[in-house]
Amino acid sequence: MNIRLGRGLIAAAVLLAQASPAEAHIVAARLGDFYAGALHPLTDLQDVILWGAMGVLGGTLGAARGRWLVLVFPLGLLAGLALGQDFEITLTGSTVDAGMVLVLGLLLATAVRIPTVALCALAFALAVIRGMANATDLGPETDRLLFAAGLACSGYAVITLVMALVLAFRGADTSVPTSWRKITLQALGGWIAAIGLMMVGYSLAS
Amino acid sequence: MRHLAVALLVLAALVLPRQLVAHEATLGVLEFREVRPGAFVGLWTMEPTIGAARVDLQVPPHCFLRLPELNCGDKGLIGPITITNLGANMSAVLIKVIPIVGEPRSYTISTANPVVSVLGTGAPTLQTWIELARTYVNYGIDHILLGADHLLFVLGLIWIVGGGWRLVKTITAFTIGHSASLAAAAFGLIGVPERPLNACIALSIVFVGVEIVKQQRGEIGLTARYPWAVAFTFGLVHGIGFASALAGLGLERRLLPIALLFFNIGVEIGQLAFVLLVLALMWAHRRLDAVLPRWGDALPAYAIGSVSMFWFFGRLLRVLAAT
Repeated sequence: MNIRLGRGLIAAAVLLAQASPAEAHIVAARLGDFYAGALHPLTDLQDVILWGAMGVLGGTLGAARGRWLVLVFPLGLLAGLALGQDFEITLTGSTVDAGMVLVLGLLLATAVRIPTVALCALAFALAVIRGMANATDLGPETDRLLFAAGLACSGYAVITLVMALVLAFRGADTSVPTSWRKITLQALGGWIAAIGLMMVGYSLAS
Repeated sequence: MRHLAVALLVLAALVLPRQLVAHEATLGVLEFREVRPGAFVGLWTMEPTIGAARVDLQVPPHCFLRLPELNCGDKGLIGPITITNLGANMSAVLIKVIPIVGEPRSYTISTANPVVSVLGTGAPTLQTWIELARTYVNYGIDHILLGADHLLFVLGLIWIVGGGWRLVKTITAFTIGHSASLAAAAFGLIGVPERPLNACIALSIVFVGVEIVKQQRGEIGLTARYPWAVAFTFGLVHGIGFASALAGLGLERRLLPIALLFFNIGVEIGQLAFVLLVLALMWAHRRLDAVLPRWGDALPAYAIGSVSMFWFFGRLLRVLAAT
């Protein structure tokens, strides 16, 4: 079971790592702006890492806290897209993204029980920033409403599914502090924090 | 399940009325008539909306193209043809090749399949079948994924029926229904005018919306009682709608059965992906216990009904305008 899960995770990671932003434009040309909005973030590694980490964090904090993200995260993406498009505000960049990866990784690794309000604020802020980042790739001919709807649907689906998968993985033994599942999630947080740290170092150096 | 449907249907209500525009393909038809061996005269019989001059057509390297002239020399018109600027304003172009000797042939360059290989005269080869499979499986997937009305109908069925074997039977009945009518329509056994048919498809979604309301009130509607029968019946209607996507492509009669098969496979792949995504989200909502307040219960049924009535009236106006 563990080996199969590990293989699956490695295969998924390889698939995601092989995707490149350019593929989003092929998708856009093929299936229109709704699917372009839905698939564009999934072809950007920074979106994939940050969305995934946010979902894992929401899941580890339990259903009662995490379920708010089902609504908050897509709304944040829409707000970010609107800010990026209508007001041309951008708060993106490799350092900002790397910093967010680091913060999420540390929160996961330390298993801090952050309150619901703080979790929602963090998810909303992250979604706003990534919404802005996605807005920068909108072309003049892109239907913004369809693109925004696609992006919000994608954010909703990804965050909901990741949180549910983490909850299913966590199972019922969360009360035991040495549960291997809990330790696995903390170890995953450690890897994410390490990736974030390397990204911060790289972005500051370059 | 309700909660998932609420979220999905509210989003659908916001998005789908515009999405239908994308469902209507923007086609162009270019005809090449051979006037002497290897030399053709090209003519746009249906100009794409962006205008013929803006179509960036690339022909096999040994051919020389300056419309209306296309000269391929002794080798003839064999090899890849592509259009580099396909997109939202021009989703597909049908290339008809009319040789001096032999049957006319048709090739569809679409956003799903931007390169086609023009085949010589004679019996179809393995390459022909691979080309057809690539083209029509992709075209089927595109058609269902861009067909918001079909997806909304399937979503309504899932909501009423729930999961498990009942859903498997219902979706299978819908598949059998639309495959049968798709085949019948593609072979010319039945013919229904497109505009009234589209209005009927919208009405089928209204029906599902009403059934959801009935279910919420505790009444056992027709769909809840005989879901497979309802799915099969409306599947027949939706299948004729699928066939209209193939009708404009002017396929050769001999290639129609296999193209139809691949197109249907593509439709099934797209439909299955959609059903699996919905089921996965239903499961996720149950896990998270993510529910809307009680007052939100009726929202999806009315959203589905409003969107489909909006489509119905829009399509009905088109029918009336045409008569």
